[in-house]
Amino acid sequence: MDGLAAAASTAPRAATRPLASRLLSFASKGTRGQIVALAIVMLIFAIGTAGTSVSLKNLQTILSLAGIPMIICLAIHQVVVIGAMDLSTEGVISLAAVTSGFLIKNPFTAYDIGFWVIPVAILIGGSAGLVNGLINTKIRMPSFIATLGMWWVTQGLAVIIGKGNAVKMLDQRFQNIANGDVMGIPVTILIALGVFAILFVVQRRTRFGRYLYAIGGDETLARQAGIKVDRVKVIVFTITGCIYALASILLVARLASSNPRTGKDLMFPAMTAVAVGGVSLSGGVGGALNAVFGALIVTALNNGMVLMKVSPYLQNAVNGIVLIAAVAVTIDRKKIGIIK
Amino acid sequence: MGETILELKRAKKAFPGVTALDGVDFRVERNEILGLVGENGAGKSTLMKILIGLQTVDEGEYFLRGERAALDGPSAAIRKGIGMVFQEGCMIPNLSVMDNLFLGNEDSFGRGPLMPVKAMAQAARGELEAVGLGRLNPKSTVGDISSAEKQMLEIARLLWLSRLYGVDNPILILDEPTTVLQESEVERLFSILGALKARASIVFISHRLEEVVQLSDRIVVLKDGRLMADLGRGQADVKAIERLMVGHELAVEHYRESMQTDCGSEVVLCVKELRLGGRFEDFSMDLHRGEIVSLVGLMGSGKEEVCRCLGGSEVPDSGSIAVHGKPARFASPKNAIDAGIGIVPIDRRNDGLATSLDVMSNINLLILDRMRSGPFLKPALEKASARRWVEECLIKTPSLQTSCSTLSGGNQQKVVIAKWLAAEAAILVLDHPTRGIDVGAKDEIYRRIRALAAAGLSIIIMCDTLEEDIGLSNRMIVMKDGRIVREIPCPKDAKPAPVAVIGYIV
Repeated sequence: MDGLAAAASTAPRAATRPLASRLLSFASKGTRGQIVALAIVMLIFAIGTAGTSVSLKNLQTILSLAGIPMIICLAIHQVVVIGAMDLSTEGVISLAAVTSGFLIKNPFTAYDIGFWVIPVAILIGGSAGLVNGLINTKIRMPSFIATLGMWWVTQGLAVIIGKGNAVKMLDQRFQNIANGDVMGIPVTILIALGVFAILFVVQRRTRFGRYLYAIGGDETLARQAGIKVDRVKVIVFTITGCIYALASILLVARLASSNPRTGKDLMFPAMTAVAVGGVSLSGGVGGALNAVFGALIVTALNNGMVLMKVSPYLQNAVNGIVLIAAVAVTIDRKKIGIIK
Repeated sequence: MGETILELKRAKKAFPGVTALDGVDFRVERNEILGLVGENGAGKSTLMKILIGLQTVDEGEYFLRGERAALDGPSAAIRKGIGMVFQEGCMIPNLSVMDNLFLGNEDSFGRGPLMPVKAMAQAARGELEAVGLGRLNPKSTVGDISSAEKQMLEIARLLWLSRLYGVDNPILILDEPTTVLQESEVERLFSILGALKARASIVFISHRLEEVVQLSDRIVVLKDGRLMADLGRGQADVKAIERLMVGHELAVEHYRESMQTDCGSEVVLCVKELRLGGRFEDFSMDLHRGEIVSLVGLMGSGKEEVCRCLGGSEVPDSGSIAVHGKPARFASPKNAIDAGIGIVPIDRRNDGLATSLDVMSNINLLILDRMRSGPFLKPALEKASARRWVEECLIKTPSLQTSCSTLSGGNQQKVVIAKWLAAEAAILVLDHPTRGIDVGAKDEIYRRIRALAAAGLSIIIMCDTLEEDIGLSNRMIVMKDGRIVREIPCPKDAKPAPVAVIGYIV
């Protein structure tokens, strides 16, 4: 039982350490590699762009760009934590977007329910997530298949409802929110951080959060410990769907338009960010903080490449390389060995 | 005699082909440490599974604290105050010590939306202290702590749960707890168990008889699903228990000994100083043409790993393997196949066969190269080969196109052997060939093994029981803790008695 002393000695000290050091250790718990990666990315582009990339204006741009991807990333990562997968992202976002588009002031319909569209969209996203969860747990269908099916269905419904049109949004208030800022900080990133804060507390301090990790770590043992595994899973998929809907509204607001392709090309970047952020795809490792860092790294990377006028095709290739390299370098693979 | 708090009366449990428990009376008293011993296959694991509700008895009754027990699983068992501690612990590796300790019962610390983490850590420290883990940080991740700590943590969890559910004197079943421990850790475990006895009963299962004798207040010996003895402290020594474990009688013509042939002088397989770090070392053996050598040892003796190295699925750290006098590379299963070593694994269904394929494809799996004409396979050749081996190996199958998943266990095994014979393997490694096969079919397998040896194949075998090892083999190699401790010849007219052998094994 050597080495116990070392493990035990960190416990009592925590209470007496200064606040700054406690905050630092809190932030870096499980995200050390990601902080380093973000710093390296920022540094490379700061040099590459002779400082332009770290100008206050560009930092604002990065945060503004990161907001919505971060929300999607936060949505997906929870499903990944329980060891499942969600491929329905783009379809659910498109469906919620198209439906919302017709309910906010627009040239096609007479509806104008204003901000009431938010609960309606969340209802749609949540329902899709609920069905994902029910198919996964009650019909015992792998989440990969269940959500792939849901992607087809929601994507199809979005086209049927939207009839393929791009619907202009005429309610200026939404645009003001999506493109606005509070003391220079973009509103979208504030919303993303709000979602983060809630999920973070849930994950670290509630039973439900603990059960997510128990299920991701070993579902059979979790069941044996009396955890209602199916119920937890259904709730997770549902929350994820609700967060998709939130992202969807922000997308529509930012683009001032909705169409059945609103959700297109959002899932793979988000999944990339989840993995780069250090959330283990085998479940049980990594949390909301990792999702946040993942989204920041990927956004900063792409922003830097745009500033350096890297060709878009090369940008894609770099994203792929960074994904593989980041997972290879930053994730403690010794730990993965014991997960699954 | 103390008060009986658990009692199993005339418990019977049968599985297809095997009677695991044959009318066992078993009881546990308050505040005692009960040692449970028996060979592999004696019925210990079935007994344990019944006690914690993973299985139910076919006949007989189970009383817990005076009431008839109807447990529908380990969590129900824990509620009734009986739980099992597994060797490696049964903990969720990515959660912390305290999360695992209280998992599923966080409500007992208050029902507010946020868990009182500080209070829980404090409580966890108290629980850990009670099992000698006072220095373990409740927040460390379970995946990072040692096996010994995991075991103690599991004990702590069972004790905490029994207090939570208000059960007095819980029963803890420890399955081979010492095999994963260092010597100093064993001593610690024993002193903690000694202290725990004041408020719990402990069922201690171990192959290490010295430890059982040292620790137990009472020892129960199982053999072939029957209770052989119930001994009080000091009533038995290691030798006496060994004798009870293996029994006396050995049926003369049980394993087709009369068909045993003497082996040739040619060395077919020569293993020299094979070593796999932490598993086994200094393993050397010669295998002659037509010889049956049985590898004997407990779980953890290293024999399984030796066989995996011979099959190429594990790569030894050092040492050499020569086949027919030629040194061979053993870096992958392909190497082993090329060298002519065939593995017939214990789990035929999953490891030995492509069960979704038909009989013909499985038999020809390794020799598809010979079934070709140009780049294409020739169905006529495939059929001819498969038909030949189905006949030679007496495989009972409706047709060559029958999916292997529908065959019986015995026939699946024959398909695996046919596959190797078709590939002209000269050496077969038979991993528990009679596991899960009923008595009548066993005899047929014994005859097949004899016939294979008589035809010049060399065989390395690992059996279900010591009697089977002795009966089948020309020679036994006994392993213990990763080393060969003894070689014992087993000529057909002078088979050693199991009692004489078991001392080397345990």
